[in-house]
Amino acid sequence: MELFLEQFPIVVQSLNTGFLQTLRLFFVTLLGALPLGLVISFGSMSRFRPLSWLTRTIVWIVRGTPLMIQLLIVYYFPGLVMGNNIWGSGESGRFLAASIAFILNYACYFSEIYRGGIQSIPKGQQEAGLVLGMTKRQIFCRVTLLQVVKRIVPPMSNEIITLVKDTSLARIIALQEVIWAGQAFLKGSQGISGVIWPLFFTAVYYLLFTGVLTILLGRLEKRLDYFR
Amino acid sequence: MKTMKKLLALLMALAMVFALAACSSSSSDDSSEVESEVAYIQDQGVLVVGITDFEPMDYKDEDGNWIGFDADMATAFAESLGVTVEFVEINWDNKILELDAGSIDCVWNGMTLTDEVTSSMECSNAYCNNTQVVVLPADVADQYDTVESMADLTFAVEAGSAGESQAIANGFATTAVTSQADALMEVAAGTSDAAVIDALMAGAMVGEGTSYADLTYTISLNEDEGEEYGVGFRKGSDLAEALNEFFAESYADGTMMAIAEQYGVQAAIIAQ
Repeated sequence: MELFLEQFPIVVQSLNTGFLQTLRLFFVTLLGALPLGLVISFGSMSRFRPLSWLTRTIVWIVRGTPLMIQLLIVYYFPGLVMGNNIWGSGESGRFLAASIAFILNYACYFSEIYRGGIQSIPKGQQEAGLVLGMTKRQIFCRVTLLQVVKRIVPPMSNEIITLVKDTSLARIIALQEVIWAGQAFLKGSQGISGVIWPLFFTAVYYLLFTGVLTILLGRLEKRLDYFR
Repeated sequence: MKTMKKLLALLMALAMVFALAACSSSSSDDSSEVESEVAYIQDQGVLVVGITDFEPMDYKDEDGNWIGFDADMATAFAESLGVTVEFVEINWDNKILELDAGSIDCVWNGMTLTDEVTSSMECSNAYCNNTQVVVLPADVADQYDTVESMADLTFAVEAGSAGESQAIANGFATTAVTSQADALMEVAAGTSDAAVIDALMAGAMVGEGTSYADLTYTISLNEDEGEEYGVGFRKGSDLAEALNEFFAESYADGTMMAIAEQYGVQAAIIAQ
């Protein structure tokens, strides 16, 4: 017990540093993937056939392969295939590579949610808007979009909570997120070696953070309770 | 709406063209680095050493600095080249990928010179002896003092490690896990009966006075033939030769043994 109390602050400090990296990856991914997802959804709904075909193929490839493989490809392929390691070897390069893989992956999932939301709005509303003399842009912004935002919140919440936990995949390219930090004590780190509990303790971090997110996203859903 | 969509479509197409162009342009340069890696390292001013947390070879002290026999030797080697050293923690499964992709310059982490390692990396001379030992819960250890008596046990081993090949060679039932530390956790948790890990690591992490006080290590599986640690560089790199010279010098002037004594591995050091 005494040993545990002695180790606890050291472990928590190290896990905090790791979780900060987890959070950084989470927010950067959201920041990049939310807008990129919209761009991709427009691409896949485009009436210009080659573009929609190309976008849908990309979405198929990204959603059809494991994120873990995508991380390995993004980080190692420039050095292996093109002979030029563009990422550098430090933590920042690994973070950048991980961010790009995560943003692309999540943008593809988001794009399908956006597309589902946009296409779920009855066409009759657009026709009604045209009859009333509104422009297409006005119809999209004032009629369609408002309803889309409301409808996609539940599926988006689902993806966002999955993203929190998916960030742990980045340890495959040695990004030192919270699980990596916990596992370091198994081998030996900062004078503590062969200690198992920090690895399992990382679950508390995920649980607390997803708890906060669940409350925030629930509130957002209530706020959007207009129409009906 | 229509114009907005078209604009977005155009933007997307542009982004893709740009991405493709970026791919092709970066492949042409850097053809000179093959000639001399020593010159390349000196040009960069830094030697990037790929490691994992592995007591007593590479591990962090209380202040978060990398210490250990390998870490101190790597620092001294970098100094002799006139460059600074940078330690990068890697995922051990990906060490060859890291090396070939250029994100690290060498793997220097108590690496056993197996056939796989020597065929995919340019390796230095061996500098340290090692054997593979069996780790068991201390209370049952005296029942298992021969290879024959262990036939019914289940073994946790690190995937791709020398311990795994020894366990398989002895006909043990093995479960591959991602690291030697995970193999120890398996034994501590009782999910495996025993583990096969490096003697140097077992000496530092198992037994009284360590966190795994309930575990102990018994017989060595390959005492007769043994095995050796070496440092791995990219295939064809002249850094391996430079390191061999450095090893010979530091062994001759006694610095190598002084560092080894600091970490309790002096008995295992190979004369250079």
